[in-house]
Amino acid sequence: MTAILQIKHVSKFFGGLAANSDVSFDVEAGSIMGLIGPNGAGKTTLFNCITGYYPPSKGEVLFKGVRMNGLQPNQVCRLGMARTWQKVRPLAKLSVVDNVMVGALARTNSLRVAREVAMEQLRVVRMDQKAGALAGGLPIGERKKLEVARVLATRPELLLLDEVMGGLNPAESEEIIQLILELKRLGLTQVVIEHDMKAIMRLSDRIVCLNSGEKLAEGTPHEVAHHKDVVAAYLGEAVDA
Amino acid sequence: MRLPMPSLRRPRPAPTRGFSTPALLAWLAVIVAVALVPQLTRKPSLLHLWIMVFLAISQGAAWNVIGGYAGQYSVGHAAYFGMGAYTTMLLLELAQLPPWWGIGLGMLNAVLLSLVIGAITFRLRGPYFVLASIAVAEIIRLATLYWKDFTRGAEGILLSGIPPLQLSETLTVRFVGKQPFFYVALGLAVLAVSANWVVQHTKLGYYFQAIREDQDAAHSLGINLTLHKSVALAISAAFTAAAGAVFGLYVRFIDPNIVFSLPDVSVQMVLICIIGGIGTILGPVIGAVVMVLLGETLRNPKWLVQVGVLGDESPVVAFIEQRLSNAHVLVYGLLVVLVILFAPDGILGVLRGWWGRLGRRAAAAQRPETT
Repeated sequence: MTAILQIKHVSKFFGGLAANSDVSFDVEAGSIMGLIGPNGAGKTTLFNCITGYYPPSKGEVLFKGVRMNGLQPNQVCRLGMARTWQKVRPLAKLSVVDNVMVGALARTNSLRVAREVAMEQLRVVRMDQKAGALAGGLPIGERKKLEVARVLATRPELLLLDEVMGGLNPAESEEIIQLILELKRLGLTQVVIEHDMKAIMRLSDRIVCLNSGEKLAEGTPHEVAHHKDVVAAYLGEAVDA
Repeated sequence: MRLPMPSLRRPRPAPTRGFSTPALLAWLAVIVAVALVPQLTRKPSLLHLWIMVFLAISQGAAWNVIGGYAGQYSVGHAAYFGMGAYTTMLLLELAQLPPWWGIGLGMLNAVLLSLVIGAITFRLRGPYFVLASIAVAEIIRLATLYWKDFTRGAEGILLSGIPPLQLSETLTVRFVGKQPFFYVALGLAVLAVSANWVVQHTKLGYYFQAIREDQDAAHSLGINLTLHKSVALAISAAFTAAAGAVFGLYVRFIDPNIVFSLPDVSVQMVLICIIGGIGTILGPVIGAVVMVLLGETLRNPKWLVQVGVLGDESPVVAFIEQRLSNAHVLVYGLLVVLVILFAPDGILGVLRGWWGRLGRRAAAAQRPETT
């Protein structure tokens, strides 16, 4: 197995605050890496450093062996690394299919081809019946699916999902879980930020746990779930009776 | 509440925003009909109105590319309008360069200027971008005003004459009277509106609209923000400059306070789009008609008499002349407030709403028979 994404000693400072400090891990091609941690642990900041929204203060990010530091988000996307947003960002005044077409246009100049790709991706997330609806009018569950379809249309090799299940009901979450597993079967590498522990345990091949910007633990879901520090970070220190 | 209605029709195919022959034919018919106007009337006041409408359409359609599609509300487009006017007029007066070359150079100048302005202002978002665009345009207005050796400052440029354009051995266009300008302005308006159509139906338009809706999302979908905003601004600047040049040649006199005016050019261009319907092809056309008719009526209500809408002694004319003639900016302001409150998608949005309701009512009337 080869690492498609390598995070090497990445730190990100905002003034004196270290949002990420010295985080390192590798993501194997074709695997699902779970990224967990309490609120404010620096998960989204790490995504922003990886995808070019912030330059890392220290350290480097390698995607397929290429250094990503200093690249703009659009360049990162074209190299094959795409991300979704924790707070969904539909292009509200465009229709659902037009939203996905914007993603597809990263790989083609033809609107016809883009429309075909877009419809195909909408079928993948089972939203092809909604193609003509305005994106701004969708309920949250469908917005999340639209976000995934749109980002898939850019034909990524590595997908970073930032809490795609946040705010969804159990049935909708299950649909997303099945979608993520289906994408894995198709060979897509994914890094998943998620607060739903059951979901992340089921999905992930490996998990990295962040706390206060530092990497607390890394390992298989079982190892991380039983890691003393992880339990402490989520539930507090054990109290001696 | 919408009830799930079993439909006998096939599931709706993905909406295509493509080319439709009837729409194109309708457009051609409208253009031909408008082009016949000077053959039907020689009234200068009426032709003047048409020319002003065409120029306003060109300006509105030009602004629509950057403001309507790409969502970057520039309130400094007078910079490009004035740049087009000044380049053309100065080249004609100082170097006797015929204006058909001058307009091209004016557009080129405006595009170069737009690249510089874009490089400065596109780092800013939202209200900060708006303020910066105003500031840059005002700087250019003041620079033109005070750089007297070159621009003649507040004295302005009075055109001594436009050389005739020899199109072929038999056909020579002499730029006297309103008629030649009617066709030049009409042609420019058609080009500007067509440019909007092209933008809306290509990848460029999708990218512009993605930037308008959400810059961060657009960025993450592989869109080079600076590049695409600059392209939108360049297209917009080129058409604005052409409109400025034609305006200068038509009016035969420009000074910095006319062509670099914040309320009468920069704001006017924004209002045309907001009132008509922002980010649509037809919106700037509708907005231009409304704004020009309103503006001309407030400034010189006598045209209504000359055209024959009102009688000679109409009290309306007297009222407007006495009470409203200097209040046109106030009236624009009220109009914008009304549009934002009651028709956020502009007049075109209201018309589409009516059209949709009519369609639904017709469908409802037919339903009992078909089911």
